[in-house]
Formats: sequence, structure tokens, C-alpha cells
Amino acid sequence: MNRPLVIFLGVLVLGAAIFTGSYFAGERACANMMGGKDDLSWLQTEFHLSDTEMARVRQLHEGYLPQCMKMCAKIAAKKDEIAAALANGTNVTAEVQMKLTELGELRAQCQAQMLQHFVDVSRAMPPEEGRRYLAEMERITIGFDGDEQTMSPSAHGNN
Amino acid sequence: MKKENTNHTDEKLGALLRESRVSPALPPRFQENVWRRIEDAEAPAKSGSGIAWLEALVALMLRPRFACATVAALMVCGILLGAHSGAQIARHDAEARYVASVSPDSVR
Repeated sequence: MNRPLVIFLGVLVLGAAIFTGSYFAGERACANMMGGKDDLSWLQTEFHLSDTEMARVRQLHEGYLPQCMKMCAKIAAKKDEIAAALANGTNVTAEVQMKLTELGELRAQCQAQMLQHFVDVSRAMPPEEGRRYLAEMERITIGFDGDEQTMSPSAHGNN
Repeated sequence: MKKENTNHTDEKLGALLRESRVSPALPPRFQENVWRRIEDAEAPAKSGSGIAWLEALVALMLRPRFACATVAALMVCGILLGAHSGAQIARHDAEARYVASVSPDSVR
């Protein structure tokens, strides 16, 4: 290989290394700088909330967390009960079915409580941002974005 | 009188010398060979034109001012694009953190 070509390829490799290094350095620095520890930081930046609105949202959030934790503890306890009932036999017994129903009810209660919280938070935001927040949270947590179509009978086939 | 005689002799001598100069016959296919040699002399210049532009480019790249400007431009572009990507990552992480705090996986 001739010398100019070797130098040219060397320069290209060096340039690529400089660009890649700068890219990852910038990415890490920016992610570290913008990624705070506050769970609610996303709300303020994404939905352009003022400090007053943010204070109200924070109050709602702190009021909701103990209820959420209580429901989570109930769900976890019910799951443990189901695991214990399943461990005792090889069949889905009436007891297991009853506990599964109870688990479903607990999840439904928890989701209803969560949705109510989202509604409350959306009301603490400017109307347009509130609507956007509610739609986004329903999409993320309940899956109101058409994901359930994959669970439809037609998707499973009729055989 | 003597001078006139000398000039006359010189002219005669010159004519004699011109007549005596031998002009050798050209070798066979002389003209064709000349053209071939001309083409051969030009041929390396043509095939080396690809290397010529690379040499010019390398010479440009190795100029300190150009090299510094290129390195600076690459760094600025890399940092800006990286910062954009980092902002997306931070936004995604913050969103995931909020969602996890209000909607644990066991509920979804």
C-alpha cells in the first residue's frame, strides 16, 4: 500500500475516534447533568409546569404514594398466598381460583386508584398539558394504545 | 587582394564540408518508435493521477490549520450530537422513574 493511502486511512480512523469519543463524552455528561434524582422532574420538564403547579403535583404525589404502597403490599401478599397454594398441589384448585380472583380485584382497585390519581394530577396542570398527561399515563400504565389488539380473538385465531 | 582570395577559399571550403556531411538513413519504423516513446513517457502521469489527488488531499489534511479546524469541528459535532442523545436518555430515564413510582410493575 502506498504512503498517502496509509496516511489518509490513518487520518480517517483518527477522525472517527475523535468524533466517537466526543459523542459518548457529550452523551454521558448530558445524561448525568439532566438526570436528577427527583421522581417528578420529568413532569415539570415534559408538561412545562410552573413552580406552583409543581408544588400542587408534588403534594398529590406524596399523598398518593402511601396508598399505592399499601395496595402493592396487599397484591404481594396475595401473590404469596397463590404461590403457596400452587406449591401444595399440581391442580388449579378452587382455593387457587378464588385467590386469583381476589388478586384480580386487588389489581383492579389499585388501577382505579392510580387512574384517579392521574386525573387529580392532570387537573393540577394547565388544561392542554393535563389532557396530554392523562393520555400519556393511560397509554403507559393501562395500555390504551391498541396493544390489546394482539390479545383479540382474531389475533389468536379461531381454531 | 589577399583578403579576397581568403574569402573565396572559405566559401569553397564551406561548400565542400556541407557536401561531405553524411546524413544517415533513418532506421526502420523510426516515426512509430518516436510516438511510442512519447506515449510511454506520458503513460505514468496518467495512471498516477488517482494518487495525485490523494497526495494533495493528504497534504491538505496534514496542514496544521486544517487539521486543528477539522479536529475542532469533529469534537463540536460529536459533543452536540452526544448531548442531544444524552438529553433523550435522561428524559426517558426520568419518565421511567416517574412511572415506576406511581405504577409499580405488579399493577401493570
